[in-house]
Amino acid sequence: MTQFLSLLLNGISLGALYALIALGFVIIFKSSEVVSFTHGSLLLLGAYSIARLSDSIGFLPAVVVGILITALAAFVIERLIINRLRGAAVISLAIVTIGVDIIILTELIRQIGSDILNVPHPWGGESFRVGSIGLSQNRLIAFVVAAVLIAAFFAAFKYSSWGIAMRASAEDGETAALMGIRQGRVSALAWVVAGVLAAVAALFLVGSPTPGVSPTAYAVALRAFPAAILGGLDSTGGALVGGLLIGIAEAMAAGYQDQLLFLGRGFSAVVPFIVMIAVLMFRPSGLFGTKELTRV
Amino acid sequence: MRLSKRSTGATMLAASFVLAATGCSTKAPESSGGGGGGAAAGDVTTDVGVEGETINLGVLTDLTGVFAALGNDITNANTLFWQNNQVCDTYDVTLDVQDTGYVPQQGVQLYSGMQDNVLAMQQTIGSPINTALAPEYESDQIVNFPSAWSKTLTEIPGTGVVGATYDVEIANGYDYLFREGLLQEGDTVGHIYFEGEYGANGVEGTRAVAEAKGLEVIEAQIKATDQDMSAQITQFNSAGVDLIALTVAPGQTASVATVAAAQGLDVPILGSNPVFAPGLLEGPAAEWLKTHLYVASPVSSFDAHPELLQQYQEAYPDAVPSLGVVVGFGMSEMMKQVLDAACENGDLTREGVLTAFQELEEVDTGGLVVPIRGFEVGQSPSLESFILQPADVPGGATVLEDAFEGEFAADIAG
Repeated sequence: MTQFLSLLLNGISLGALYALIALGFVIIFKSSEVVSFTHGSLLLLGAYSIARLSDSIGFLPAVVVGILITALAAFVIERLIINRLRGAAVISLAIVTIGVDIIILTELIRQIGSDILNVPHPWGGESFRVGSIGLSQNRLIAFVVAAVLIAAFFAAFKYSSWGIAMRASAEDGETAALMGIRQGRVSALAWVVAGVLAAVAALFLVGSPTPGVSPTAYAVALRAFPAAILGGLDSTGGALVGGLLIGIAEAMAAGYQDQLLFLGRGFSAVVPFIVMIAVLMFRPSGLFGTKELTRV
Repeated sequence: MRLSKRSTGATMLAASFVLAATGCSTKAPESSGGGGGGAAAGDVTTDVGVEGETINLGVLTDLTGVFAALGNDITNANTLFWQNNQVCDTYDVTLDVQDTGYVPQQGVQLYSGMQDNVLAMQQTIGSPINTALAPEYESDQIVNFPSAWSKTLTEIPGTGVVGATYDVEIANGYDYLFREGLLQEGDTVGHIYFEGEYGANGVEGTRAVAEAKGLEVIEAQIKATDQDMSAQITQFNSAGVDLIALTVAPGQTASVATVAAAQGLDVPILGSNPVFAPGLLEGPAAEWLKTHLYVASPVSSFDAHPELLQQYQEAYPDAVPSLGVVVGFGMSEMMKQVLDAACENGDLTREGVLTAFQELEEVDTGGLVVPIRGFEVGQSPSLESFILQPADVPGGATVLEDAFEGEFAADIAG
């Protein structure tokens, strides 16, 4: 039971971080209809900037500057590339983002090398324990921060003029444009928010229990992708549920690896994708995605 | 995979055919005129990669890919070594350094560019690139030193793994732990390992020791991209493991130590040599690692060779040296011994160098690398390992035990 609860708690805290990243995918898709594959490199850029700057300017300023750098990078990608290719086929845009991702990633990998860069989190590697169940403080704080950010995002999405503009653009781009909504601005802001969310997720992903920035951190974004898809790529609520589902499934599959041995070793790595496929078999638009209706 | 005597013989026979075939082919051996050098130079036969009194060696390293930091350290050490050493007191050595970016295809292309200019390969980084180049190295009779310790690399004729293979290495680690009373017969061990050659070879060592000592083993295979070891350690904790064994990269080591500390899983951690990087000592796992991690390693630490560190830091003041520097110096020293032997035999052709490499026995690098018993195809070149532990010393690790041959090494190495 202890093992189960420990794994569950870990899964939820990891899932909250996946949800932050998945939320970035979703708002970019809603605002610009682009499936963005740049998140892995944005995540690594955030983590790398924070780690590199912490030594010289201190932890908190480094976090702020690191988040700003990542948001700026997302903004530049949107303005220089995505915005100029507006009207191109969705698949072309997705492939363009893969190209951008590879360019940024290659440079970051070169900068990081094979060493481990450390982010000096003030809470370090301490853990929070209830009885024999433990969770690292880093993950606990991550969970709280993710919950606050997601709640704030939902509020902004519902009540702010940007949220309304974005929802209108997602609903019917042409009509929204005719109503005076500047889609370019909505899209740029969406990329900035996604960049911020990726950097915040990165801050916690490179802390206990996975301390240190190494090039493999980018792979986390790939696991958040199924979270966004199974929740429904155009559903913000779906990103949250999808993230939690994937986080829990992954932790359980890794923790009960021996019992799942008949499925082969390393099963936990494929779990996010198996869950995604299973959900899509029954709900092709994802758990909360908009069903495409065609009148015949 | 062990080669039987018959298949070893067959490989040697095949190699000798190749030698004969290439001997009769394109280039006639030219004599290195040598003038003014040591007495040996005039009588030495040479072919590819030797001009006058200069030997050209190839380096296929990674200066921009995932192993860039390690590649830089090893290459800097190679360069520094050959700046201060000569072959036979006569020949200077120059290095043709090329960056593969850890991409096998790039490695193959770069090799074809240097193929006709190098006598041997001072360094080829990465198992995938070594494996990709194996057929060419074999047909070109290239002597090569890789910076990986997988058993599969020992199957390439002419390729000299710089120490014990991963299975022998970790078995030596177990031997140390048994002797120190940190592990008992019948205990339970949790082993986390990468999928692929590196992990598979490491876990083979654990399985062999487990069979000999009645250990119960819980295996957890992960991908190199998996960073969070919470689930695996939680599983080990509920199974009550007495030891965590690792054949992973430093990132996972940090995660294992942090989670084990958080969960109060107070057991030793035994690692293959790539699990450690000096950067680990700056993270939150540092204190736990300094008291719990034991690394079985083919090379010694800077702590035991302060002069090496000083020399390196004088030449590269901005670098933060890893144990890759020791590997680099060690493999250069081995190459020097091979080339010296070939030179003394009067044959600095590729064939002559390969013969000298194959005849080499009891290689001593002055304590940098474990003593090498010789390079036989399919066999671990050494039965010995150092035991290192992270510590606040230059280079980040201190030697707990000097090179030794553990109880299980001979059986595993064959």
